[in-house]
Amino acid sequence: MSLMFTCDDKATLVAYLYDELDAQARLRVDEHLRQCAACAADVGALAGVRIELTQWAAPNVELGVTVVREDAPPPSATVLRPAPWWNTVPVWAQAVAAILVLAVSAAIANVQVKSGPEGFVVSTGWMTSTAGSVAPAVVPAPAGDAQWRPALIALEQKLRDGIRANKETGTVRAASRSEVDNATMARVRVLLEASETKQNRELAFRMTQLMGDINVQRRADLLRVEQAIGHTGVEVAKQRQQLNYVIRASTVPHE
Amino acid sequence: MAGDAESFNQLVLRWERPIYALAYRVIGRDEDARDVAQETFLRAFRALPGFKGQAKFSSWLYRIALNLCRDWIRRKKRTPVVQMPEDMDVIEMAADRGPVESIEDLVARNEMSRIVAEGMKLLPDEQRTAIVLKEYHGLTFQEIADLQGCPLSTVKTRLYQGLSVLRKHLESQGMTSFASGRAS
Repeated sequence: MSLMFTCDDKATLVAYLYDELDAQARLRVDEHLRQCAACAADVGALAGVRIELTQWAAPNVELGVTVVREDAPPPSATVLRPAPWWNTVPVWAQAVAAILVLAVSAAIANVQVKSGPEGFVVSTGWMTSTAGSVAPAVVPAPAGDAQWRPALIALEQKLRDGIRANKETGTVRAASRSEVDNATMARVRVLLEASETKQNRELAFRMTQLMGDINVQRRADLLRVEQAIGHTGVEVAKQRQQLNYVIRASTVPHE
Repeated sequence: MAGDAESFNQLVLRWERPIYALAYRVIGRDEDARDVAQETFLRAFRALPGFKGQAKFSSWLYRIALNLCRDWIRRKKRTPVVQMPEDMDVIEMAADRGPVESIEDLVARNEMSRIVAEGMKLLPDEQRTAIVLKEYHGLTFQEIADLQGCPLSTVKTRLYQGLSVLRKHLESQGMTSFASGRAS
């Protein structure tokens, strides 16, 4: 820095403004400002700007930034995703829609459930009322029933015995327990698979029956429509003949 | 790892507000400033093993934040827009401050804040950043020069030019009451 402060030395003026000058340099600037009105006004104005700058406050916000381990679930992480459409429909509306679908399906299939001495009888289709000879479909006993029911009963008994034994002994060795658990789980898995297969078979049977009924009904409806159209065609032909007769009669020259 | 996270969270607690304020004043958008602040701490945490203490932790954080701000400005290719946060309510602010400041004073100060912010967005990025670091974060010329990667004299020039532009802007807004006084 030169011994004398000059008016164009803005870097020194800024250092003076921010009080980052050593004492000697500061004295030189002070001396200059006493003699130079322009530099004094400049420094005064810039100091005023600094005061005004203090008015600009950043918003007082809570960021709540927290670093968490990757394998731990984020405590309050907010992930913004578009809501699925079914989340925008109220629960009651969804329930009403489900009931409506079931009701319409049952009405289309004309599902009838009756209880009698033979147990529950489920019938579907529209032809049963007109064709009295058709007996309602009786749900047959599941074919695989005989296979899995005794096994299920045996398993239940086994489980009851095991629970009773546990209560009596109080403790069970971990190794034997795991073996029993594995065997039980295997049995349960087999039974579940058998049950699932049976249900699928029943569902396929019902669907086939339903489709058959619908086809029969559709054919009957088509036949009725064709008959109606044929009847209408005869009427139209008669009207056309009458019209032709009237036209011919009206075109006969008058004498 | 968990201990590192806990220790780092203490630092976050200490520095989240200054880093957010820096980002807000440099880029001028509340939401984006939040994002920059969060990203700053995320990057700092990832780079923490490489931080050997050769610089002050605050300077290191400022550098990360300023780089992110620079990226944001470059990516958006737009000047900062001064935007008050949506939840800023003058009445609530006055209530928070108690009887010390009246609502009229607060409104006037809010207006002043807006005018200053508008003036700041007139400045080039380098001048605005230099003024923010100096005025609101109290960094020395040398620290600003290190952060901005420029000579000391350039920092002083940026400050002088920036303050001069702000002075003209404030005068154009009818604020000429700061013609007196000397730097302390």
